[in-house]
Amino acid sequence: MDYVQNAFYDASNWNLENSYSQLTATARALLEFETPRGFGLSVSSLSSPNFATSYAIGSVGLVDGSLSYLYSSLPLRPASQSANIELEDVIRGYRQIQELRKHKHSWEWEQWHAGKRIDKRDTLLYGRLYLPQSTLEALYLRRLTPTQQFKLSAVSDGRLRNGGTILALHQYDVGKYCAESLYSTDGGLVGIRGLYNFGPDPRKGITEPPRTEDRFYGRFSAGAEVYYGSLNKSGGVSFGGRFATLPAHNGTPLTATLTLNPLMGNISTTYAVKAGRNLALCSKFDFNVYSYESDLMLGCELWRMKAKAEKIRVRSMAAKLEWRLDEIEKKPISEPEQVLGVLKARVDQNWKIGLLWEGKVKELLFTLGSSIDMKRTDQPFRAIGLELQYSS
Amino acid sequence: MAFNFNWSPLTADAEFYKRAQEMLTTALNKSPKPPIIVDDILVNELNLGTTPPELEILEIGDLAEDRFRGIFKMCYSGDAFLTLKTRVQANPLNTYLFSKPSFTSPMPLAASSGLTIPLQITLSEIKLSAFIILVFSRQKGLTLVFRNDPLESLKVSSTFDSIPFVRDYLQKEIEMQLRTLMMDELPAIIHRLSLRLWCPEYGPKEEEEAVNIENKEKEEVAVDPFSSPPQDAVDARGNVLDANEITSLSLDGGSEIHSLFSQKNLLRLGALNDSHRTLSLFTPSIRDAVFRAWAGPTERGDSVGTSTPVTPSLLRSHSYTPSSSTTYTFSRNSDDGHGHMPSRPSLVSMHSATTGLSLGSGRHSRSHLRKKKNRVVNLRKSTTTDDSASESGQSEASAAVVSEPAFPTQVEEEPEDNIITPPRSPSGKVRFRTSSIDLGDSPRKSRISTPIRSALSSKPMPEEAVLEPAPVIGNMEPTAPIFSREHRPSMVSANPVSEKKPASASVSQPAKHNPFLAPAPVLTEPSPGGIIEQAWVMKMAGEIARRNHDEKAARGGFWASQDTREDSPPPAYEPKAL
Repeated sequence: MDYVQNAFYDASNWNLENSYSQLTATARALLEFETPRGFGLSVSSLSSPNFATSYAIGSVGLVDGSLSYLYSSLPLRPASQSANIELEDVIRGYRQIQELRKHKHSWEWEQWHAGKRIDKRDTLLYGRLYLPQSTLEALYLRRLTPTQQFKLSAVSDGRLRNGGTILALHQYDVGKYCAESLYSTDGGLVGIRGLYNFGPDPRKGITEPPRTEDRFYGRFSAGAEVYYGSLNKSGGVSFGGRFATLPAHNGTPLTATLTLNPLMGNISTTYAVKAGRNLALCSKFDFNVYSYESDLMLGCELWRMKAKAEKIRVRSMAAKLEWRLDEIEKKPISEPEQVLGVLKARVDQNWKIGLLWEGKVKELLFTLGSSIDMKRTDQPFRAIGLELQYSS
Repeated sequence: MAFNFNWSPLTADAEFYKRAQEMLTTALNKSPKPPIIVDDILVNELNLGTTPPELEILEIGDLAEDRFRGIFKMCYSGDAFLTLKTRVQANPLNTYLFSKPSFTSPMPLAASSGLTIPLQITLSEIKLSAFIILVFSRQKGLTLVFRNDPLESLKVSSTFDSIPFVRDYLQKEIEMQLRTLMMDELPAIIHRLSLRLWCPEYGPKEEEEAVNIENKEKEEVAVDPFSSPPQDAVDARGNVLDANEITSLSLDGGSEIHSLFSQKNLLRLGALNDSHRTLSLFTPSIRDAVFRAWAGPTERGDSVGTSTPVTPSLLRSHSYTPSSSTTYTFSRNSDDGHGHMPSRPSLVSMHSATTGLSLGSGRHSRSHLRKKKNRVVNLRKSTTTDDSASESGQSEASAAVVSEPAFPTQVEEEPEDNIITPPRSPSGKVRFRTSSIDLGDSPRKSRISTPIRSALSSKPMPEEAVLEPAPVIGNMEPTAPIFSREHRPSMVSANPVSEKKPASASVSQPAKHNPFLAPAPVLTEPSPGGIIEQAWVMKMAGEIARRNHDEKAARGGFWASQDTREDSPPPAYEPKAL
């Protein structure tokens, strides 16, 4: 479902990464991945370009499951067969941030027919029902203009106070900067966050070619967020900055972030580097200046590519008939390698280890994971899980 | 009928506090904690204070040897206090997100990063008022229910007292937690404890724990208490005894010891032992408890205890024939002013096995004395344990195989149902037998029967434990016939190891063996020992009282403040030996 949602963002030209909440997406993907628990199976289908369904069943002690439906007013045509899905699109790993794109002008969306505007706003509707718990999730996403998006998400659950919560989020993204404001009915939480990208402004067009000769060619972004719970009179503030190399950088891609929480005295730094074509490393260090607590986390991601068996060169029959050698082929264009799987591992200072293996077996996407606590020698395996996904 | 609840011994027992703290810690961490508490709640300090709760018996619905049902009214407003340590999450946004579905989470980047602050909370001025329904049956254990919300008020003081918002919040949260603890958790814990004590089937589960304990205990060297005389023997009143006195005491004690056992039981035990030898299929049934009252005067005919060879019939001696066996006698009759000086010092080391007869004789005197005494509810069961322990020690000396831990289990079995069947193979069962036999032989047995439960609880009581408590206790309770201590001392002297401990470790010993209950019984004996004896005398009264004690003790374990009873004291005696 996330895959389909991302397809919607792509189709509607929305840059999901240009948001303050996605500042540390790379580190989160490498360090805070979720390890599955128990056994899970989900079957999804994109029955039409506008409609997708998914059914999931899982067993963690007892069996539970969920039904979800998605409707998009914008036709989506991602590769939906699980056999054809590229793992890179599904697995969140090291995120290479892209050059900022220029948004269309709002008049480019306008469609006129017979003197009337007939263009419609792209909309995504999504609902998910968790069965034994009777929890309902709903999402309403609407692109207001090429630079604005409105997202309304709600959860209905009898166990929650007031029976559920609603979160409204408005995003305004012009590329150079992005501003978001949100409101949650739970505690009356109001929040504002913003991100500013230093460097060239995409709205003015690319004025200079990528300076690939620089040692680092990247982008620095800074942002802040403020929350205030109007009902419980509490709040939170944080500042953050990120430097990341852009695709044009011809050195080792890296991403470094620094976030500060001045109220709680928390400093967090992450550093992620794509050390090779198949390897990404990440470290995170947290420190609290008030309590002197610190935390260190290391993680890595290893992509396993399908080793192509080299074709044995045999003289072709045609060549034999003509009493000549085959022409020496030019170095074949390296076909995009197929990803066999991804191994993710993380370890923190308490010797808690998380392992995740994601891959594809025939038509199935599988996720195999375990979390291990080395401090508890008697029972080191805290959780083991396997998830299978099939989609058509 | 009268019940005598000892409050002070509880407070005097360091081990008891230790165990109570452990139990409280587990209880507090069991229920899901609010998200603001990010660490385990540790019970840092616990004091029951000096003011006992007031207990009023409103109704006794059912009363029998193995059943009791009653309603009590309890009021408490004492100076008990409790200090907790934990860590709390200071970032409100963090706790806000904790219980929210992630789907609608605003997903703050770093604004929710946590700041944990250590927090110390002191609960004091606890006021309790409750109606307690207490149901006890030997099969189903002890059930204790609060009929209403017992918590009237309490004062919470914490690190954040200067911030009114936090203070109020804490006060509210803690009261809530405490209420659930008392209403839900406490009865469950007490029930579990009681099952452990009284239901042998329940034992296996604990066996593992016991094994651990055993391992520790095995390290201790089995010492024959009798090999050396007690170094610091003290009579019931705390006076130091010289060697001569001690010897005399031992003799007296021996007789007293005999008195402790009822003839029937002795006979049965004897039969049991014999059956082993004769292959007789008949297994004498020994009821759960031996009451002193049963002991007929005839028994006393026994010779002075010291080391009459006679006993052997009863004694396990058959199997073990220890070269030197120790018998502990506890004479309770200090009150009586019995001829026996400090009868209590009952621990007598007999080179040859003690004779059942001798024991019987002891009883006589005691039984008489006992009747005179007031009934005191005692948790004494511990005494049994002591005995067993001592016995074990003996057996060990002879066999050197038995580990103390075994005792506890043995004890349990004995009291409840018939003593273990004789047919057992010597090697495997030896332990039990010895224990059982020993019990029978020694006065303890009688004790055991009644107080068994407590004894049971305390699984492995090291001999040392016995020793320690005695002196102190004696001093404390002048009126009460408290000789038990003396016994211990003697024992102490006997065991080199034990000797050392008694002085310093009197309190601590029990703890190590059985964190839960076991230690308690032993401890109790020494101080309240005299009382206990009396209790036995009065079967009914004694039984009831014990139950009460147990309940209270259990409660006390839990909730320090609530304990009325001295039962808890037993813990104090926990064996330091470890």
